[in-house]
Amino acid sequence: MRFSRKHLALPYALFLLLLVVLPLVVIVVYAFSDSSGQPTAENFIRFFTDPNTLGTLFYSLVLALITTLVCLLIAYPVAYSLAFSRIKRRSVLLLLFILPMWINFTLRLTALKELLTLLEGNLAYHPFLNSVIGMSYDFLPFMILPIYNQLERLDRSFMEAASDLGASGFQVFLKVTLPLSIPGVVSGIAMVFLPAMTNYVVLDMLYNSTYIMGSLIGSYFAAYDWHGGSMISLVLLALICLFTLLSGNSEEKPEGGRRL
Amino acid sequence: MKKRFLIPALLFLPLLSACGTQKDDDALVLRVCNWEEYIDLGDWDEEETIDLESGDILGENPLYEDFEEWYFETYGQKVRVEYSCFGTNEELYNMLTLGDKFDLVCPSEYMIMKLMSEEQLLPYSAGFRDEEIPENYYVRNVSPFIREKFDGHEIGGHSWSEYAAGYMWGVTGLLYDPEVVDKETVSSWNALLDPSLCRRVTVKDNVRDAYFPAVAAVKAEKLTDPAFTSADDYSERLEEEMNDCSEETVAAALDFLQSAKDNAYSFETDSGKADMVSGKVLANLQWSGDAVYAMDQAEEDELYLAYSVPEECTNLWFDGWVMLKDGIAEEPGKQQAAEAFVNFLSRPDNAVRNMYYIGYTSVISGGTDGDAIYEYLDWTYGTEEEEGVDYNLSWFFDGEGEESGDYVLFTDEEQLDRQLFAQYPTPEVMERSSIMRYFDTEANARINRMWINVRCFNINRLPVAVRAGALVLCIAVLGGLVFLKLKKRA
Repeated sequence: MRFSRKHLALPYALFLLLLVVLPLVVIVVYAFSDSSGQPTAENFIRFFTDPNTLGTLFYSLVLALITTLVCLLIAYPVAYSLAFSRIKRRSVLLLLFILPMWINFTLRLTALKELLTLLEGNLAYHPFLNSVIGMSYDFLPFMILPIYNQLERLDRSFMEAASDLGASGFQVFLKVTLPLSIPGVVSGIAMVFLPAMTNYVVLDMLYNSTYIMGSLIGSYFAAYDWHGGSMISLVLLALICLFTLLSGNSEEKPEGGRRL
Repeated sequence: MKKRFLIPALLFLPLLSACGTQKDDDALVLRVCNWEEYIDLGDWDEEETIDLESGDILGENPLYEDFEEWYFETYGQKVRVEYSCFGTNEELYNMLTLGDKFDLVCPSEYMIMKLMSEEQLLPYSAGFRDEEIPENYYVRNVSPFIREKFDGHEIGGHSWSEYAAGYMWGVTGLLYDPEVVDKETVSSWNALLDPSLCRRVTVKDNVRDAYFPAVAAVKAEKLTDPAFTSADDYSERLEEEMNDCSEETVAAALDFLQSAKDNAYSFETDSGKADMVSGKVLANLQWSGDAVYAMDQAEEDELYLAYSVPEECTNLWFDGWVMLKDGIAEEPGKQQAAEAFVNFLSRPDNAVRNMYYIGYTSVISGGTDGDAIYEYLDWTYGTEEEEGVDYNLSWFFDGEGEESGDYVLFTDEEQLDRQLFAQYPTPEVMERSSIMRYFDTEANARINRMWINVRCFNINRLPVAVRAGALVLCIAVLGGLVFLKLKKRA
């Protein structure tokens, strides 16, 4: 057999098979079987009829949605002013926003916890608010970076052309810059929304005792209920796939000019 | 009572055991597995000496090392104790299932019941119960109250006392700050829902410790009904009620605990004590032994906490020594060594060492072999002041109730709500105590599922309009995205 470039992908294929595909098969098998190994749809039905699992899904979605919104509202102006500023050392400024990512996030949360305790007195009074603050604090760089990258590589001549043709500064932003930056926004959303549904460490550390999807799966496994836990994982996986499919296409058109 | 820094001791453990192996190759090995920080590890300062009438007590070496010495002196045989620890009953059970071998372990009553029903345990020998043998400290000195409980509970036709020897015991209750919290409030398990404690009360983060108060609170009316409490078979009926895991009770407990979650500061395993001491929380669902520890700690900061056992019911628990068939069978002589180990720990002066070191209450009351335990209580809690009060401990020490005047401690009035009360509650409290059994597989699965659901966001708690709105919104967003997608394709 002759060596071709395809063979270089073999280690990765093996990795994929052993650590991604195989566990996935196991999850599917567990999700659709009961404790005696018989195939059943009971776990599936149970998930969608139990007010507690549905409620957790709802709670996670709302939490993730609000976190994403907050991140977007903060990140977009920051990324915009960074990308279009005339400051020479832009990268230094950017670094300041990215720097927190170099520190372990539980460490950052511990610091945040002290700060919030100082402000609120008792963290347990506002569990939901604290979770949103904690998550936004944690995920903000993941929103800034893709938006900044997208804005940064935009061809400035589009904006100049719009101005030349008589558009006001606001119109230029609304009609040219914003639509062209959407791919960055979408990947930012994907990078914040999905982890925000499962990152339960934030909730644990900030005294929110309510489960989100991540902790729910963990609790099922901790109670040795592999079947119920697998079903929840599968539902979460399906959700992630759906989001990825729906948002995937826009990233492929970094130029984006054609759609205008 | 004092918990020491374990880390230095732990660092040297491998070193010590390494030396041990070389020294006593011919020694019998006794593998003991106990809760963490649940035995006196010695190394007390000179000024910590407990000077009782019956002699001074000072822990120099770990108790299990003293045992090795004592065993050699008494039986003329060398024994080496291989001492290890576990964190929860379930962890111990998993260790046993995964093939770890031990001779003597110290699980809680429900795990003893499970191990008994699985026939993993070896019964104590007849010789162990012979009061005439001088080394049999356990059988002579165990409290009549504990003896009665161990004799009175059976698994598969065998009483607990055939298979288990008690070690420590306690109840559950609420630790609170009497400066802020009214005693009335914490005299019911419904305190966990009390608005005045909103976000200032903690609940234990494990299913059994949370389920018990939930059941008690749900059934509060029934449990405090005089007709129920004055019934002849009150204890038996109480135990039945408290071990009820029918679907309705589990559902009601879920509802209670979900409300408790919204009222609690947090579900905690160990942080509750520190949060009480620092004043972050005002009340804390707590085991009596840990409550004593927290009260001692708070006292150092001049904060005086108190302990209350709610009116409905309290969970009486024991930890006890049981011998494992598999381990003991490996070598002859192990059973004798294991039983001797239990007896050595039950010698009143050793029980005092443990109580001082761990803070929990020993099942040993003494008596036949000297009154060290009672003297220790007097040493700790007795008072010379004039305004003291009498506190009758006869129910524990000689089982004769009010009549006997031998075990009446003269103590400060505040102790009736504090450490002394937590360590040895009043007979009225013990009346309303119930043990919590091991649940069968089906009930266990139901309760575990309930425990997961406690911390879920129950969507039924939202108004219907909000639920419908959310559903519509989800469909609209999804539909919109799909529509956009298709439009883009076209």
